[in-house]
Amino acid sequence: MVFSTIRFLFNGWVQTQYIEPSYHFSYYGFEWLPYPSNTMIWVLFILVLISSLLIMLGLFYKAATIVFFLSFTYIELLDKTYYLNHYYFVSLIGFLLIFINANQYYSLDAKLGFAKPSKTCHKWEIAILQFQIAIVYFYAGIAKVHADWLIEGQPLKYWLHTANHWGITGDFLKQDWVAIVFSWFGCIYDLTIVFFLLWKPSRKFAYFFVLVFHLTTWLLFPIGVFPWVMMAGTLIFFSESFHKKLLSFLPTFDLDYRKLKLKKSSYKLAIILPFAIFQIVFPLRSHAYDGDVFWTESGYRFSWRVMLMEKTGEATFYIKDQEKEIEINNADYLNKNQEKMMATQPDMILQFAHHLGELYKDTTINRFGHSLVFHHPSVHAEVFVTLNGRPHQKYVDKKHDLLLIDNNLAERNWLEPYQP
Amino acid sequence: MKVKFFISCALLIGITACDKESDKPDFDRGAMLVDINNIVIENAYSINQSAFSQLDTDANGFASSPTLENLETLRNSFELAYLNFQHLKMFNFGYFEAYEIRKAINTYPTDTVKIQENINTGTYNLELAENVQAIGLPALDYLLFGRNDADVILAFTTDADAMNRMSYLTDLTLKMKNEINAAANAWSTESADFTASTGNDATGSTNVLFNTFVQDIELVKNAKLAIPAGNQTGGSTLPYYVEGYYSGLSTDLAAENIRALKTCFLGNTAIGFDDYIRDVESEDVQTSLADQIATKFDDCEQAIINIGSPLSEKVDTDNATVQNAYMQTKALVTYTKTDMASALGLLITFSDNDGD
Repeated sequence: MVFSTIRFLFNGWVQTQYIEPSYHFSYYGFEWLPYPSNTMIWVLFILVLISSLLIMLGLFYKAATIVFFLSFTYIELLDKTYYLNHYYFVSLIGFLLIFINANQYYSLDAKLGFAKPSKTCHKWEIAILQFQIAIVYFYAGIAKVHADWLIEGQPLKYWLHTANHWGITGDFLKQDWVAIVFSWFGCIYDLTIVFFLLWKPSRKFAYFFVLVFHLTTWLLFPIGVFPWVMMAGTLIFFSESFHKKLLSFLPTFDLDYRKLKLKKSSYKLAIILPFAIFQIVFPLRSHAYDGDVFWTESGYRFSWRVMLMEKTGEATFYIKDQEKEIEINNADYLNKNQEKMMATQPDMILQFAHHLGELYKDTTINRFGHSLVFHHPSVHAEVFVTLNGRPHQKYVDKKHDLLLIDNNLAERNWLEPYQP
Repeated sequence: MKVKFFISCALLIGITACDKESDKPDFDRGAMLVDINNIVIENAYSINQSAFSQLDTDANGFASSPTLENLETLRNSFELAYLNFQHLKMFNFGYFEAYEIRKAINTYPTDTVKIQENINTGTYNLELAENVQAIGLPALDYLLFGRNDADVILAFTTDADAMNRMSYLTDLTLKMKNEINAAANAWSTESADFTASTGNDATGSTNVLFNTFVQDIELVKNAKLAIPAGNQTGGSTLPYYVEGYYSGLSTDLAAENIRALKTCFLGNTAIGFDDYIRDVESEDVQTSLADQIATKFDDCEQAIINIGSPLSEKVDTDNATVQNAYMQTKALVTYTKTDMASALGLLITFSDNDGD
């Protein structure tokens, strides 16, 4: 996380993603969250940086985990444009770390006497982290059981064509059957890897596949740090003697440990159990809706649908008032990332339309020396998207006044029907 | 354990071995970039260098002998420079972007008041931001076509400010010539980086080129057509906002811009985006997306030609035809921003995504 935050800061993304845009897409249910001032955004990033550093060192662990979870999650909640499954994963792990005493063994807290040194940990502490990883893989696998993925080999077919070929694998990765093989491998991998990691005889073999899988994705696609998070994270399935061997290169310091032993102890049931149930149920919510979740995106986020579809869109917005109509230049209000994400996601299309409705209500604007008066404008959009290699289809018709459609959890009947 | 490992290794080797029976030739992004650079971009620089050099020569020729004949010569080289510039402005990266050459050469509508003010005082710094609407081809458009032929000659010969106006004219053509030459010289070294940056990330040349390519189609749609046609002003047309208002070249320039974009798309006769698309597509596709987009370019060009000239009048007398050209261009934008971007994994963005 330290590396990731530095990378984020270094790339200037704080400025371009969080400070420059005049509008931000809040999450449903979190619209009340105040948008911080420019200074506060920097403060939040610094907090994430410092707290993740402290967690790594095991110093002031409890406070650091709380600060980390809150500041990181706050940043993530500011704009859903930047939603990524692995950021959600980091938030969840951050939450769990608050309740896990991971500062008792090789930590500065233990060395400096801020925490009681201990060579043991509770079984549930490991189990809940394993459970979280299992959820990610398993639901990612379930989501891949889809005709596009398994039969058409899409979107992998496209992605493998245009991936970084490093000069050697081009011919090979372009064969249609390779995309199918990769798709099936990915699906079976996601569905079964946790079981093979849990079963001791197959563990090392399974981890070999973890490395192969994530290194392959890292080499081929620009997906940031996620492969490294998962490659390191799955080590939690290994025994403690393995971890001791792995970390034996580190300088040691002497602590007064009791005898090393995994012990069963009181569960923090009140928090962990509801958390676990939530993790099982929440990703399933898309099944409560009609239609293809790829098209409607109802229940798409927070359900471990990772690297699953290639959806690209183009949205043109129009403001109408009586006889007048003007076309909107999205770039006047959004950055490129926001524009791109908004064009394929119905809730964001509505949010942007409602934002435009606010801006143009009872307003006089000056365009190219022309004064235009708006009283009760309607906002319309014409949107086209392409999904997993199909020719582009109309997604939203210009006939709807989007101001009359609420952004809620209901069925999105206002989208054009999907032609698979 | 070991047995399983060997089986999987054998499988991997087996899979790799099948490599040799491939039925598609390996497409190479690097080769496409080399072709687009050598055949399209360098040609665009070369024709612009000669056109803007000729423009400056002819402006000085007119200055030393301001006859109607020399005015016609100058106007012809103005027209050629303007048409050629449509081939260069889409390559808005590197030095060309950093020094805002596109803005310096083609910001319209031009500010006639500011131009007259500069001519009156005779002292001006054309590099200043305040003069961006008083320089470039649109300023020339006004100076050379703003009045009838006889009056243009008078304005440059006998009017009180004629001397200053003539100096202003040659200052403008010299400035443009220098800018094009500087950008061309810079490109002669930058092009090596351009062709070497073959990755699929946001900073890779394929993505950079695609983004400026799409942006230029959107400029045709918005700046050349939609704004004058009144689409952003509730139907009130803005004739004065057309490109080449005084010369009436607007429609020709728009059509040339579409032709230039199509040339880039096809890599002219060599490897271009069209070949890249064909490489990605399945064998059994009925009409290649590459052909659909090429056809769309032709539809756009024809719809623009159908408008006729001058565009500044047509927006009022035949707005429906202008709207049709606008719709065709909008459809082209949709094809490039959805189907093409999706097929080629092109990013209209600048950070990571995990595909969702």
